[in-house]
Amino acid sequence: MIARVTHILRSLIFVIFALILCSLVFQIAGYSASTVLTNVADGAFLRPGALAQSLRWALPLFITAVGVGVSFRAGYFNIGAQGQFYVGSICAAFVAEWLSGAPAFVVIPACLFAGMAGGAFWALWPGYLRIRSGTDEVITTLMGNFMAGLLLVYVTSGPLKDPSGSGQQASSRPLEAAYRISTSSGLSVTIVAIAVAVGLAMWLLVNRTTFGMLASLAGRNPVMVRWQGALLWKLGITSFLLSGALAGLAGTIEFLGPNGRIASGFLPAHGFTAILIALVANFSVAGTAITALFFGGLASAALYLPVMAGLPSAAIDVINASIALFITARSKLLDKVLRIGGHSS
Amino acid sequence: MTDPHAPALVCQNVSVTYGPVTALEAVSTAFDAGLIHAVVGQNGAGKTTFARVASGLVRPSGGHVAINGHVMRGGNVSAARAAGVELVHQSFALPPSFTVAEAMEFGATGAGRFFTRSSLFARWRPHLESLDISVDLGARIRDLPVETQQGIEIARALVTQAKVLILDEPTAVLSPSGIEKLFERVRRLKAQGVTVLLILHKIREVLAIADTVTVLRAGRLVEGPLMTTDVDGERLSRLIIGDASRGLAAVDAQALTGAGTVEHGPTDAKPVTAAPVLKLSSITTFGDPEGPALQDVDFEVRPGEIVGIAGVEGNGQRTLVRLIADFAKASRGGVYLGGHDINTQPLAQRRSKGLRIIPFERNTEGLSLSSSLWENWTARALLEKPLLRLVNPALLRSECDAALKAWGVRYDNVAQKAGALSGGNAQKVILSREIDRDAKLIIAAQPTRGLDIGATAFVWDALRQARDRGCGIILISSDLDELFDISDRVNVMLAGRIVGTFTAPYDMNAVGAAMIGAS
Repeated sequence: MIARVTHILRSLIFVIFALILCSLVFQIAGYSASTVLTNVADGAFLRPGALAQSLRWALPLFITAVGVGVSFRAGYFNIGAQGQFYVGSICAAFVAEWLSGAPAFVVIPACLFAGMAGGAFWALWPGYLRIRSGTDEVITTLMGNFMAGLLLVYVTSGPLKDPSGSGQQASSRPLEAAYRISTSSGLSVTIVAIAVAVGLAMWLLVNRTTFGMLASLAGRNPVMVRWQGALLWKLGITSFLLSGALAGLAGTIEFLGPNGRIASGFLPAHGFTAILIALVANFSVAGTAITALFFGGLASAALYLPVMAGLPSAAIDVINASIALFITARSKLLDKVLRIGGHSS
Repeated sequence: MTDPHAPALVCQNVSVTYGPVTALEAVSTAFDAGLIHAVVGQNGAGKTTFARVASGLVRPSGGHVAINGHVMRGGNVSAARAAGVELVHQSFALPPSFTVAEAMEFGATGAGRFFTRSSLFARWRPHLESLDISVDLGARIRDLPVETQQGIEIARALVTQAKVLILDEPTAVLSPSGIEKLFERVRRLKAQGVTVLLILHKIREVLAIADTVTVLRAGRLVEGPLMTTDVDGERLSRLIIGDASRGLAAVDAQALTGAGTVEHGPTDAKPVTAAPVLKLSSITTFGDPEGPALQDVDFEVRPGEIVGIAGVEGNGQRTLVRLIADFAKASRGGVYLGGHDINTQPLAQRRSKGLRIIPFERNTEGLSLSSSLWENWTARALLEKPLLRLVNPALLRSECDAALKAWGVRYDNVAQKAGALSGGNAQKVILSREIDRDAKLIIAAQPTRGLDIGATAFVWDALRQARDRGCGIILISSDLDELFDISDRVNVMLAGRIVGTFTAPYDMNAVGAAMIGAS
């Protein structure tokens, strides 16, 4: 328990370092760091209604990030959350199109299922290549992101094109209101319920099942787990499938909920922010929930800054990037410390 | 001209600490020039650290080391070399893919020169011949037998006309006849005026080769240098073991220190007649990345017996374990566990039939050092359950706690990382996991390597108790004393074949001859 608390505190320290770095950047760029940061805090949490907005962004991020955590724990660096998110949303959009006219209680579950299947499929092939022939999953999942991005461009300007679209951004036809699971505000009981269900199920899976324990052991030392008789491919493929399915689910939620359509290049940073969240939370499910709320706040502040405070929304990118920088440094530093410790013993 | 009996190597109050660990504490001793000196002690006594600090590789955290009256700063290999001291490491440092000539040149000269094969051959042939090492200079290091590799290491160390040569556990990798050859070589060096310091851990070897002996225990100097003519094996054995000798069976103490002929340890075993728990019938395997393929191996283990596997390392012992664990595949023949053909079964299924493995590599194959003790301990039990079965970590933790306590593991709490334990304690965690009530066949691969005397004796007792309960046990070891002490039968492996089977009373020379294929 104490170890867990110190771990969270250590992550927090790095976030604080990141904020100090940002302040420096803001000052150098000619803004008052304190003004920027107070406005960010306002936009994220303090202003009335901000919390709801932050949750709107946090929930899909949480779902994707939990999935990322599952594969990272098992020792697979699936950085293809963005692609899996897109493919999930595309599959859901197709299903919604095909089932158009059917009752909502059929269409919505079918879309959710299709989205998860699509995301899982987009993680399956890199997982298969990795386990079958050792192809580096960092490369394949990254490539998968580009492929999915282009697929989205094709789908939104081809088969699912909205003919009445303005032409500025290709997108699919708007989803019928009956099939939406939230209004454009993006927050609804359904979405909260899905997120909570995912959170509970994944917490149970990771911390309280044979799979969760063996997968995280295998992530730290696959050789030892193999000598105990585990089939690594089973643990690995399951982890890939789960992480892809959750990213696909998040894509489906964005489609059925706040967006109501898919558009080429929509939410381009979703998957990467989710990876960042998973890293900051050190892949713990509860930690991911808290961290996702923080990053959801930043996402909502990014919309607030230029409108209400006349500040560039790029400030949020700077904050995100600094945190990424320090989190990466953290794992490297920790590695180093651990390795030195290992030698002397 | 210096006085021939002036000390060649002097340690003055030398201490070495690694972080919080004190490896050597205030060791003061002096070694006379022109003699063969042995430094002995159990694992963890500080022998290797002593070799490193004496050779100038490690800087002492206190005190100093002087070569021929010249104080070394330490931590600088080239300065040590200039002072005239060279170290031959325990695990060889020759690049395996180099030819002999390349390996000799490597490290001998600076960069920035062109080499031809013939110039390298011409340069190094006389040197190797002068040391009576007959080897093809174009042969790759990895293709050479260990004795020859060691000979080349020694030759390389002598390139700079070293006055003091330190060999760290040179006998650990050799067969008995290889040890004899090494000793010949060392005696010749002595005749040439080189002072040789041998780190050893068998008293038999000390008495056979050394002029003086120095005993270390727990990082401190116990006694020495003593003239070997003034000590006997029994006294040395007591000096090495220290207080731990209480409660140690006499035959175990002999096996632990290599003080004499080891007899088969105490056993009240009846003749074993039950059906074999493991049977390999004319097994031939495909090539394996970790050793030679097995060739026509017939092999049986019956319940209630310990079958030892002797052999120079790399002669198929790993392939044998990997075959039984389903990592190496048989191209021909059958593998039967408890009468069932398991040839096509995955490891998990074999384990559920009672197979248990204490693997060669404790820190990678045996444990996940970055995971907690309870996760390491519980892995075997978890694998018997379906993947989506709910588990109760609190319950597992308390079960692990009880098991580790019963096995006498010293630890703070079960959430501690396995990497924090000492070698002996880590091995006990593995034992507590692998030797359970359902175990039928236990493979113990080098289970005592690197362990101190107390932990070694503990492992032996655990294996004997498992045997007496009716487990079949395969013990793979490169330590013949260990094999002779606790095995009921010893098979010798050479190049993937079983080339001899011996029973007690064991004949060290006959086993040794079988290990190198001389009959």
